[in-house]
Amino acid sequence: MNPEEQLKVQALLDGELSEREARETLSWTQRDSAAAALLAELKNTRQALAQSGPRGNLPESREFFWSKIECEIRRLEPRTAPVPKDTLAAVLRRWLLPAAAGGLAIAGVVAYFHGRPAPVEGMADAGAPVVETVLADADATIYRDAREGTTLVWFSPVTGGNPARNPKPNAVH
Amino acid sequence: MNHSSADDDALVKAARRGDLAAFEELVFRHRDLIYARALSLIRHEQDAVDLSQEAWVKGWQRLAQFQGESRFATWMTRIVINLCLDHLRRQKRHRTDSIEELEEAGGVEWHLPVVNVNPTAGLERAEMRRHIDAALGQLTPEHRAVLVLHEFEDMEYKAVAAAVGCSVGTVMSRLYYARRKMAALLASAREES
Repeated sequence: MNPEEQLKVQALLDGELSEREARETLSWTQRDSAAAALLAELKNTRQALAQSGPRGNLPESREFFWSKIECEIRRLEPRTAPVPKDTLAAVLRRWLLPAAAGGLAIAGVVAYFHGRPAPVEGMADAGAPVVETVLADADATIYRDAREGTTLVWFSPVTGGNPARNPKPNAVH
Repeated sequence: MNHSSADDDALVKAARRGDLAAFEELVFRHRDLIYARALSLIRHEQDAVDLSQEAWVKGWQRLAQFQGESRFATWMTRIVINLCLDHLRRQKRHRTDSIEELEEAGGVEWHLPVVNVNPTAGLERAEMRRHIDAALGQLTPEHRAVLVLHEFEDMEYKAVAAAVGCSVGTVMSRLYYARRKMAALLASAREES
């Protein structure tokens, strides 16, 4: 018998041949003594395996074996747990709080610019330097330049005199 | 729910809802079967214990996928078999394939003399089991895997080929060699005893 014929005998035993092939192979095994002997051997081996499949008792106690499984399940559980659906509180936390914070920031910026001193009359440019006399009694004059980020305060003697003539800057911000 | 008196289906349903005690009962019922399947493929006690344990953890994680199209024990058996085959593949990378190549290319199996008597006739079941177990241990992992999947899991050639990752022709050849070698080993063991 060649290898192909031997595998055909095995396929016959395993029911892996088409109906026509099975009929032809069976007929051949009935005529050929070597094929018949091979078929008998394969059948015996198959039967022996079927009667005594692999058995084995786990060599560990129920408690010990389970404790290892349980430990591993609990260790992996957080990673495999389903993601909970968004609650109303979670949505509020996620979207409304940042939106409110953003709104407040914008309101702050707007309030800041509205609260700035108005430019001196006649000056077209809002960013141009401003000169104010805020503390008349103290004879103080403030020079503020938003472009330069500079503020100068002059304190002049109460006795009079033109501060512009002899300015003494006392504070710089 | 009384776990010990509940059937497998009820335990699976409870386990799916997160009842770990129900799953423990399932492990208790089928742990020997799962271990035996791993041992028949791996032939190493501690590795078989570890792989069966891993299979149970995977079983818990995949419970939602179990639709009841087969018995729970069968489903678990497939999980442990896949883990064992992966284990064998990893092992194969670390060892020489010369024996396997010799067996398959050299065609030793084609010339083995036919065993004319039933090698297990007249043996006590326990003795027969011992002989079969010893003979299985003498096969290469590749031959043993094909034999176990075909004989004990009733898988067809195509299914075995898909599980093992080889052609149907290779499955047929490995199965043929494994059976013939088993016949010779069992006959020899019977003579010795």
